[in-house]
Amino acid sequence: MTGIGLVSPVGTAVEEVFDAVCAGRSGVVRPPEGHALHGVVEVAAFAPAIDAESVLPAKDARVVDRSIVMALRAAEDALADAGIEVGRDVDPFRVAVVLSGVGGLETLADQAVERSKRGRLGVSPFMLPGVLPNMAAARIAIKSGIRGYTSSVGTACAAGGQSIGEAMRILRSGEADVVVCGCTEAPLFPTFADAFGNALALARGWPDPTTASRPFDRRRNGFVLGEGAGVLVVERPEFARARGAAVHADVLGWGATSDAYHPATPRPDGSSAAESMRIALRDAGLSTGDIGYLNAHGTATKAGDAAETMAIRNVYGDDMPPVSSTKGVTGHMLGASGVVEAAIGIAAMRNGLLPPTHNLDDPDPACDLNHIRGKPLPVDVDAVMSNSFGFGGHNVSVIFGSVDG
Amino acid sequence: MTSEIRQFLFESLTVMKYSTADIDDDTVLGPAGADLESLALAELSMRVEDQFGVRFDEDEAERFAAMTVGEFCAEVALRVQTTSAT
Repeated sequence: MTGIGLVSPVGTAVEEVFDAVCAGRSGVVRPPEGHALHGVVEVAAFAPAIDAESVLPAKDARVVDRSIVMALRAAEDALADAGIEVGRDVDPFRVAVVLSGVGGLETLADQAVERSKRGRLGVSPFMLPGVLPNMAAARIAIKSGIRGYTSSVGTACAAGGQSIGEAMRILRSGEADVVVCGCTEAPLFPTFADAFGNALALARGWPDPTTASRPFDRRRNGFVLGEGAGVLVVERPEFARARGAAVHADVLGWGATSDAYHPATPRPDGSSAAESMRIALRDAGLSTGDIGYLNAHGTATKAGDAAETMAIRNVYGDDMPPVSSTKGVTGHMLGASGVVEAAIGIAAMRNGLLPPTHNLDDPDPACDLNHIRGKPLPVDVDAVMSNSFGFGGHNVSVIFGSVDG
Repeated sequence: MTSEIRQFLFESLTVMKYSTADIDDDTVLGPAGADLESLALAELSMRVEDQFGVRFDEDEAERFAAMTVGEFCAEVALRVQTTSAT
């Protein structure tokens, strides 16, 4: 993996994001007055504003969803980080894009309102390129001149992790030399936020917003909705070596399973999530003892954290690596979390420092893990695992290895 | 009527973030001139419909790309007159 581009509630540079999760510098705030979410949700995690005209011509910037703007910025940064100019450094047909997310749902919601107000003439012909979930991938391809395989994975909060896995599959099959993969999510608008709120999935009742996201804590009462995008550039190792690329980390393996249980509730025993971790370990050719850090999905829902704990215990037993969920600081960027957390795991290997779970004051006995709490844990690790689980019961685990490991 | 339509066209192009600096009656609307692509032409057609009450079908909207500003305004004016007359 040679390129990283992030847009998150705690920054856009990898080291900035990593410093925030290590220092417990939370990105969770009360929606400010004037924002559409003010009074709709108690807390949210906003990514920095990005001027759409900084990534697209004005006529295109006018009609794109925020999810696409964030994806374009992250992709631009990731390709620049990798030092790749498509066409100069790689054949455009040998580059793939797997860029996921739920799509431009805010654009859809706005258009539905216009339709009910003004009838047919309220609906813009630009609605489809604003809404369709493949459009972030398409816009990246158009902007960078990428002409190989492109797609979008629709597995909700597992989509970011799964996009990295799909990139592995494409590279291993020899279908591409370079894959631009990631996820973008812009859920911070009233209709979507109300859906999570009415499902009783969101944190509530916290006087200090920075304490609202508390994975694995006994008093946790839901997740904090956030937005963001993460894009990684991954290459065939031979291709990266041949062009003399600086490598951030190796993607060693991945696994994916389904709960086959319920559309919104995780399988309580975590057995499918456990299997995704086992598959990832086998794929990477590693054993549990090789994993030095586990970045958990850990959104801070009662059921989700407990099920993930069962899964981790099931796989690792007493051979458990230090575990944390960095969503205590970042909030939950849905599918984009998996990519931002992959970057955090890689930064942890590079820095020899494992970030703690923010707000984990009193670990829930139902979440009996080898928690990193209070302050970051200095330790050299050669391999990290990142979990991502999504509505629908999608489970994905990805393993990254240090370049020196 | 034609000048009213021209003014509306220019206002629409500005809202749609297209430059009107070098556009006159002889400028083609499509890629050879003002550079409106297919969805932008469809939006323009909707805006005209909303403002002047005349509707274009898909084939006609596709023809806009090859029309000049002057031809477009004349076509809309003709439609408006025909619609008002019936």
